[in-house]
Amino acid sequence: MRRVRWLCLVLAALLLGAAGCGGGSSSSSNTSVKPGSVDKTPVTITLWHPWTGDEKKLFEQALDGFKTQYPWITLKLVGFPDSDVFDQQVIKAVKGGNAPDAVLSFGPDYVGQYCSSGLWQDLKPHMDADGIKIEDFAPAAISYTNFDDKQCALPSLTDAYGLYYNTDMFAKAGITDPPKTLDELAEDAKKLTVKNSDGTLKVVGFVPLQNWEQLGISDIARAYGGEMLDDSGQPVVSSDPAWPKAFEWQKSLIDFYGYENITKFFAANTDSEFSASNAFETGKVAMMWDGEWRTAFIAREHPELKYATAPFPVGEDNTDNYGSARVGGTIVGIPDGSPNPDAAWLVVKYLSTDTGYLTFMANKVRNVPTTNEAATSPDFQNDDNFQTFIDVWNNPASKFFPPLTAAGGGYFTPLEQFTDKWQAGQVSDLQGGLDDVNNQMAQQLSQGQVP
Amino acid sequence: MRVLRHYGLVLLLLSPWIIGFIAFTSVPMALSLYYSFTHYDLLNPPRFLGLDNYRYMFGIGPIQDPNFKTAVYNTLWIIVFGVPLRIAFAIGTAMLLTRPRRGTNYYRTLYFMPSVAPRVGVALIFVYMFNPATGPINQLLNSIPGINAPLWFYDPSWSKPALLVMGLWGVGDAIVIYMAGLLNIPRQLYEAISIEGAGALQRFRYITLPMLTPVIFFTLIIGIIDGFQYFDQAFVSGNVASGQSQVLGKPQNSLLFYSLWIYQNAFVNFNMGYACALAWVLFLATMVVTAILLITSKRWVHYGGGLST
Repeated sequence: MRRVRWLCLVLAALLLGAAGCGGGSSSSSNTSVKPGSVDKTPVTITLWHPWTGDEKKLFEQALDGFKTQYPWITLKLVGFPDSDVFDQQVIKAVKGGNAPDAVLSFGPDYVGQYCSSGLWQDLKPHMDADGIKIEDFAPAAISYTNFDDKQCALPSLTDAYGLYYNTDMFAKAGITDPPKTLDELAEDAKKLTVKNSDGTLKVVGFVPLQNWEQLGISDIARAYGGEMLDDSGQPVVSSDPAWPKAFEWQKSLIDFYGYENITKFFAANTDSEFSASNAFETGKVAMMWDGEWRTAFIAREHPELKYATAPFPVGEDNTDNYGSARVGGTIVGIPDGSPNPDAAWLVVKYLSTDTGYLTFMANKVRNVPTTNEAATSPDFQNDDNFQTFIDVWNNPASKFFPPLTAAGGGYFTPLEQFTDKWQAGQVSDLQGGLDDVNNQMAQQLSQGQVP
Repeated sequence: MRVLRHYGLVLLLLSPWIIGFIAFTSVPMALSLYYSFTHYDLLNPPRFLGLDNYRYMFGIGPIQDPNFKTAVYNTLWIIVFGVPLRIAFAIGTAMLLTRPRRGTNYYRTLYFMPSVAPRVGVALIFVYMFNPATGPINQLLNSIPGINAPLWFYDPSWSKPALLVMGLWGVGDAIVIYMAGLLNIPRQLYEAISIEGAGALQRFRYITLPMLTPVIFFTLIIGIIDGFQYFDQAFVSGNVASGQSQVLGKPQNSLLFYSLWIYQNAFVNFNMGYACALAWVLFLATMVVTAILLITSKRWVHYGGGLST
C-alpha cells in the first residue's frame, strides 16, 4: 500500500521532469550554399506538417508541382494529426537529434524561440543566393518570420482578420455602410441586437468577450493603435493609452447586453465556432471578427447567407490605420540538424514562393496567398469578400500581434487573466490592474532574473 | 563464489526493473530537482539560478509568483470540501446499497459504472450538463419559480462546486470499498448494541463508523493525494467553457489548481525550471501531509475483528 502511494507521487513529479529529458542539442549548422549550382543527386527529403483530412489530400496534391520541378528529390511527407502539439513534437525531435529536413507549421507562435535559440536555421544565405527578399511577401511577413535579426521561417499562405457583417440585418436596421470606427461598431451592434422578453439575447450585434471565437482584447487594443511591447521589448500595457480605451470600449458594450446575458450567449454558442451551427452563419450574430477562411465555411455550409466583409473598425483617433489588422499563419523552415538543408531549402522555397502551389492552396483551402504574384495570378479565384483579407495582408500597418518574443507567447497570460476579471465587472481600478499586468508581463519576459 | 553467483542471478532477474527504475525514475527525478534550481525553457541550455525559483514562489524578495497563492487555495479548497464530501456520500450510498436483498449486484454495477468512464469524457459531459444557457440542469432549475440558476463554469464562485458534483457522480470506486467494509462488520456487534437499547444513530456512531475507519483512512489518503494532483476535470472544463483558451484555470483563475499551474508554467510559459520547483514543493507537501495522517491514524483508526481489541 505505502509503496504504491510513494510511487504515485514519484510518478507525478517525474512526469514533469521527464519532459525536460531531451538534453543536449547538436548545433551543427551544416549550411553550405553554392549559388547557381544545384546538386541533382537523388535525395529523399522528409517534410513534417500538421495538415489533416481533406486539406491533407489537397496539400499532397499541391506538391505534384514540386515533383515535376525537382524530379531528383523524393518527398517524404509525415503528417501529424494534432496541430496543437505539433511544435512541441518538432522541438523534441530537433533536440533529440532526429530533426526532419523541413517543417511546415500552422502558426508562428514559436518563431521567437525558433530564431533566437537557433532551433530553426537562418534562411538568409539561401534567400540571398536565390534573390528572395522578405519584402517580396508583404510588409507584415517580417513580423512573424524574423526574430533577433534571424529569418528562420518564411510564410506559406496566411490568415488575415477582418469584419464580417450580415447584410440582410444591416438592411433591416437601416444601416448602409459597415462601421469604420469602434464607436460606430458599438452603435451598430446595439441597433442590431434583438433581446427576448426575459432579457436574454436572441441576436447579438457584436460579441466583445475575450475568446469569443478569434477575438482577443489585444485585437481591440490594436484597433486603437495599441502596442504590447516597446522597441526594447518591454511591455507597455500600462502606459499605452490604447489599452484602457480598449477595455472601456469592451466593458460598455458588455454592460449594454448585461454580463450574465452575454455570458449565457457565449456559453450556448462557443463550441460551434467551426461547425455549420456557427453563430454568425446561423444569424445569431450580426457582426464578427474572423479570418478569411470563414468565406469558405459560409460558401460550403450556408451559401444562402447574405454577408459582406470589411476591414475591422479602428479607434476614432487611429483612422489612418483603417484597413490593417492582425495577420499571420502557416510558416515553413529548416530545423537545426536537418540532414539535407540544401535540398530542404528547395522545398521551403516551393512552399513559400511557388505561384502554382500558392494559388492552388488559396483556391482550395481558402487562406490568403502570401505573394503578390499569387494574389494577382489569373488562376487565383478571388472575390470581393476575399479581397478584403488580401488587402489587410498587404496593408503596411498590419502585423502579427501580440508580437513574438524569445520566451514564446506565455507572457500575455496575465493580460488574459486580467481581462477575465475585468469583463465580469470584478475590477474597480483599471489603471492599477493594468500596472499589475504590466509588471507581471515584464517579469515573465525578463528571463533569468526571474524564473 | 556461489554467493556471488546467487546475487548475479538476482540482479539479472531484477535488471528489467532496475534499468527501468534508473532510466525512467531516478534520473528524471534527479534532473527535475536540478532543473528546479535553473531557468530552463526547453530550447536553450538550463541556466543555474540557485534558489531564485523558490524565492519567486514564496515571494521572498522583490517579486512573487502572482498565481501561486491562488493555486494553493484552489487545491486546498477542493481537498477540504471534496474529500469529506466524497467519503460521506460514498458511505451513505454504500449503506443504502447493502440493504436490498435482491438485485444487489445490479445496483452495484449501476453505481460503479460512472467511475469506469474516462475523466475527460465525464468532464465534457458535465460542462454540457452545466451549460448555463442550454444545459438540462439549468433548464430544470430555471423552471422552478424564484430560482436564478447559476452560471456554473462561467462564474468563479460556482465553478468549484460544479466540480464537486462531478466528483460525487464518479464515486463508485469508493462505494464498492465501503460496501465491502460494511459487510465485514460482524453482525453480533449490532446485536449486542441493540440489546443495550441503542437506536439507529447510535448503531452508526458506535459500531459502523469505528469499524469503517480503516476504509475511511484509505480513501482519505487516496483522496488527498488525488486532490493535490487535481487536473483532468479542471483542465477540460475550464478550457471548454472558456472557448479553448490557452490560459488555464478559467473562469477567473477559480479552477487554477496547483497541477494546472505547473502545466501552464512548463508547457505554455516555457518555464520548465520553475515548473520543476513547483512540482518538488507539491511532492514535499504531499509527503508531509501523508506522514501526518499516518502518524495521527494510530489514534482514530481501529483495526482488528472488533470483538476484542
